[in-house]
Amino acid sequence: MTETAAPARSQTQGVGEPLVKLEDVHKWFGNLHVLKGVDLTMHQRDVVVVVGPSGGGKSTLLRCVSMLEEPTTGRVYFEDRDITDVRANLNEVRTHIGIVFQAYNLFPHMTALRNVTLALDKVLGLSNDEAHDRAMDQLARVGMGHKVNAYPGQLSGGQQQRVAIARALAMQPTMMLFDEVTSALDPELVGEVLEVMIRLAGDGMTMMVVTHEMGFAREVGSRMLFLDEGRIAEEGEPREMFYHPQTDRLRQFLAKVL
Amino acid sequence: MVVREAPSIEPEVAPDVRGPTAPLPAAIFALGIASLVVIALGLVVSQLNYALSDRVLTQNCLDEQISPSDNGAIGVCNIVEALGDPLTTGALYLGIGLGGTALVLGASTYRRMDSKRRRDEAITGAVLGSQAVLLALAIVWFRSATPGLFAKHFLNFADLQGYGAAFVRGALNTIILAFAGEMGGIVIGLVLGILVLSQRRAVRAPARTYINFFRGTPLIWQLVTGYFLLLFGFGLHLSAFVVAIIVFALNTGAYAAEVFRAGIQSIERGQIEAARSLGMSYFQAMRYAIVPQAVRRVIPPLMNEFVILIKDTALVIVLGLTASEYDIFTTAREGQSATFNATFFTVAAIAYLIVTLPLIRLVNAAEKRLRSGLVGIAGAGG
Repeated sequence: MTETAAPARSQTQGVGEPLVKLEDVHKWFGNLHVLKGVDLTMHQRDVVVVVGPSGGGKSTLLRCVSMLEEPTTGRVYFEDRDITDVRANLNEVRTHIGIVFQAYNLFPHMTALRNVTLALDKVLGLSNDEAHDRAMDQLARVGMGHKVNAYPGQLSGGQQQRVAIARALAMQPTMMLFDEVTSALDPELVGEVLEVMIRLAGDGMTMMVVTHEMGFAREVGSRMLFLDEGRIAEEGEPREMFYHPQTDRLRQFLAKVL
Repeated sequence: MVVREAPSIEPEVAPDVRGPTAPLPAAIFALGIASLVVIALGLVVSQLNYALSDRVLTQNCLDEQISPSDNGAIGVCNIVEALGDPLTTGALYLGIGLGGTALVLGASTYRRMDSKRRRDEAITGAVLGSQAVLLALAIVWFRSATPGLFAKHFLNFADLQGYGAAFVRGALNTIILAFAGEMGGIVIGLVLGILVLSQRRAVRAPARTYINFFRGTPLIWQLVTGYFLLLFGFGLHLSAFVVAIIVFALNTGAYAAEVFRAGIQSIERGQIEAARSLGMSYFQAMRYAIVPQAVRRVIPPLMNEFVILIKDTALVIVLGLTASEYDIFTTAREGQSATFNATFFTVAAIAYLIVTLPLIRLVNAAEKRLRSGLVGIAGAGG
């Protein structure tokens, strides 16, 4: 794990323009205040891992980055564009931000291959051949080249999740968001998905990863956010945070999960 | 650590745990079946005996106001006479005796049966026996009343001669009315179903108003008013048949809209999120990801709506169809009016059942397939 992750970590922070910037993001669900003013900057090749107790707003934060949740107040910038502006073309923005979900969310009525080619065809307007080739490349990259004609219902959770990753990668996104992608998997299937993510980080993909896999967070993350009760309670270099937590909340959290 | 050896001989099939049977429960079970069979045989054999041999109008029948001038009087008389035949009587009372025995024996012993099979046989025998007793008592009561009157009006098939083609055409017209109405309704329903799911009240409100109006007013009102509206209000030259199809489509559209709305809402939220996260617009997500899945789920309820519509087409009788446009019910009603013989309605029921029963079976099969969860895989062209 450590070896593969090393390149991703070595070139971090502050390279060029920020890719993503959140300014004082608040999110209310009815009267529930889920995000209470989050500021965040991500650069190319950053692998930001987000950890914290459940209900702390981790998934909401991640979903705000691609505007699947609209912040109640605050701004989200992607490549210098304010995507919280009502005039922003979110459909176009989302083609640059791949998301992988906890529940895979593959389209059950389509084969693995069609899951990947659908958006290439309908959104990017690629020709059938181009879409097919690109999809086959990505499916092979996640080790699913042998099951391209299977329907999601015929695949294991780990296999479905790898197809979901291929589906997102095929759009050739600028960054990838991973929302607790291994939480729904049987323990013996977690490894195959993490392996794909580690390789992706090694290839220099910009990633935000909400996860309960503390080993992954420590080894692969270039930066870690500890989100607690809607605020970033602590952030920094993952190992540093694991070995020298600064706040009581993080100490308590680590004591529980490690 | 204890390592347990697997048993050397693995059974090939699941073991039968229902246990052995015994003479008593087997006898109760047999008695129950026998009681029903005896009654059925007695009825069928004596009816056939009378129907297939030369008979005359008996005094008994004349007393029941079956007159020689009635069309098919002899046939009706045969039904009445067969009902009163000693063979029928014997079968009914034997059935009551056998069924009653099965009921008493089964009910008194099933608790003491010591294997599942014995218990099941005792209970099933008692249930069948009680059904036989009730059936036989009902027939005994019925034939003591006015079976002649009943048979004359509901089982007199003589007047139906020459109506065969009319009923076939009626069935075709019924199916055309229902099918055309359903197809139009599905198109209207899909559009309305998507509209009522809109985030915007301005989009939702008109669709909701339409649905509430057509669900909240009687179909017969819609037919009559629609007819006058189109022909006199708008001065259109439409046949009643076409008006009926239009009204059925508008009405079914309201119900289909609710079916589609529920179907779309039943698709997990993650599906639309996944589609949107790939850059698809709302309508692309609907078209490629959501609706194809929803359509599979709404097939059984839509077929159910279709069965309901087949029966509701009988309401076209209020519109004054021309003879070639008659549906099943209008055909029967016209026949009954001409002959004062309600047997036409008996035949109409049979005609409706011939159309609807296969569909009902198909709906059940489709629902079963849907529940088994294979729908996402089978027949998915993408």
